[in-house]
Amino acid sequence: MNTPVTPPPMLDYVIHTAAALALPLSDERARRVAETLARTAGMVKPLESVAIGPADELAEMFRPAPFPTVLADRQGGQ
Amino acid sequence: MTALNQSRASDSVERAIARIEATDKRINAFTERTFERARRQAQAIDARRARGESVGALAGVPFAVKNLFDIEGVVTLAGSIVNRNLPAATADAVLVQRLLAADAVLLGALNMDEYAYGFTTENTHYGPSRNPNDPRCIAGGSSGGSAAAVAAGQVPLSLGSDTNGSIRVPSSLCGVWGLKPTFGRLSRRGTFPFVNSLDHLGPIADSVALLAASYDAMQGPDPLDGGCHAQYAQPVCAELDLGTHGLRIGILGGYFKDLATEPARQAALQVANSLSASQEVQWPDAGLARTAAFVITASEGGSLHVENLRTRADEFEPLSVDRFIAGALQPLHWYLRAQRFRRIYRDKVNELFKHWDLLIAPATPVSAPLIGTEWIDINGQRQPCRPAMGILTQPISFAGCPVVAAPCWPDGTSGMPIGVQLIAAPWREDLVLRAARVLEQQGIAHLSSKPMALS
Repeated sequence: MNTPVTPPPMLDYVIHTAAALALPLSDERARRVAETLARTAGMVKPLESVAIGPADELAEMFRPAPFPTVLADRQGGQ
Repeated sequence: MTALNQSRASDSVERAIARIEATDKRINAFTERTFERARRQAQAIDARRARGESVGALAGVPFAVKNLFDIEGVVTLAGSIVNRNLPAATADAVLVQRLLAADAVLLGALNMDEYAYGFTTENTHYGPSRNPNDPRCIAGGSSGGSAAAVAAGQVPLSLGSDTNGSIRVPSSLCGVWGLKPTFGRLSRRGTFPFVNSLDHLGPIADSVALLAASYDAMQGPDPLDGGCHAQYAQPVCAELDLGTHGLRIGILGGYFKDLATEPARQAALQVANSLSASQEVQWPDAGLARTAAFVITASEGGSLHVENLRTRADEFEPLSVDRFIAGALQPLHWYLRAQRFRRIYRDKVNELFKHWDLLIAPATPVSAPLIGTEWIDINGQRQPCRPAMGILTQPISFAGCPVVAAPCWPDGTSGMPIGVQLIAAPWREDLVLRAARVLEQQGIAHLSSKPMALS
């Protein structure tokens, strides 16, 4: 009798979260998506280690710097 | 203001049409041609001129737009076939309207990576856009059609979008001028989005004067666009020839040197020498910024398309569909982490610009690879080719800083260009354009001097 093989954790995650989003995935596509996510998980490790305190909120609708007032216009440089 | 183009609009448009018809089979920049509309518009401009009426600063300048910009009466494809089912746009995008108000003439829509998720414009549905400097090579992406059209001399001006590098990468690889303005500078209304937290729109042009003039024409607040932070226009054209004397200019080292091949580093160094910049500067947390930008891109991009991914995944671009799905499934914790990091990162970048006015870095690690290339070598490290094209642009756009990609021609690339990023603090497009003008006048940055046989 064949013993069922437990899929690796990331593939398991992909299968279940895709189902929760009603996103049908073939076995082959699920495997490729899991590989992609596993690579991202590796990239994210340093981001997990960054010191981010409780008071550091999400960036709002991103504003790189306050839009300059007319008086402050073009200060700095020439 | 004197119009940039003193030729008859109809003559300029017919020349552009002839060039497009002669070359686009080879380059594959255009996905839609609006020639009849262009001809009507050009005739109207000429008639006004003949009557002694004033015309706009861009009178008769032919332009085309990446096909995520709405064009009235045209379906906004955003590089996809899924979007073919959408109704045609009922109005031009805001930036298109503003260029038309300056009397530039719209010739059509341009090829791109599907839904902007790519750096190469190897579009399976519509074919790759090819690099006019060597049609075996990629044009870059995702605004590949926009850069190729300018490099091929089809139009002197195009519009693209840049989320993580999609104006700067194709500008670099095709050897044309590209401007990614400050995040939130220009209205995004009337365009198909990719990542609301990161999308910028901007021009690609064959000269700094046209880059600046088109940018000025597109500026201005848009109270109907929640992502447009500009409260008034800050025109740059009158200041273009102020030069760079007295500016504190540095060249980025560290990440931006380690991930650039020798020709790319040479291009950046040549620019630095021309601008009398000798000091190497460290950009804060570039690697982390790239990761955070990647995570935000994947989550927001994937989430946007979940409805269609449920039922039409097989109609998506094979090169990006798995990434879209993976993005939609990413743990929320990663996304929140990335957005919280962005606030800290922004403060560090703005601190850096208290000490520097202009910073220099290569735009791409290499010159344009052949279409279909899967892997490249960067200083002995094997990297997947497609994501690596944006490795030097992503940290900069994540901070929202304005950047000009200046077309340079270093040794060791078989004659292919590599662009150099000129980077300034948020809202200081004036400085990057002044530096660009200096490089152009010195002959350091320019379009190809070789005629391209593209028919």
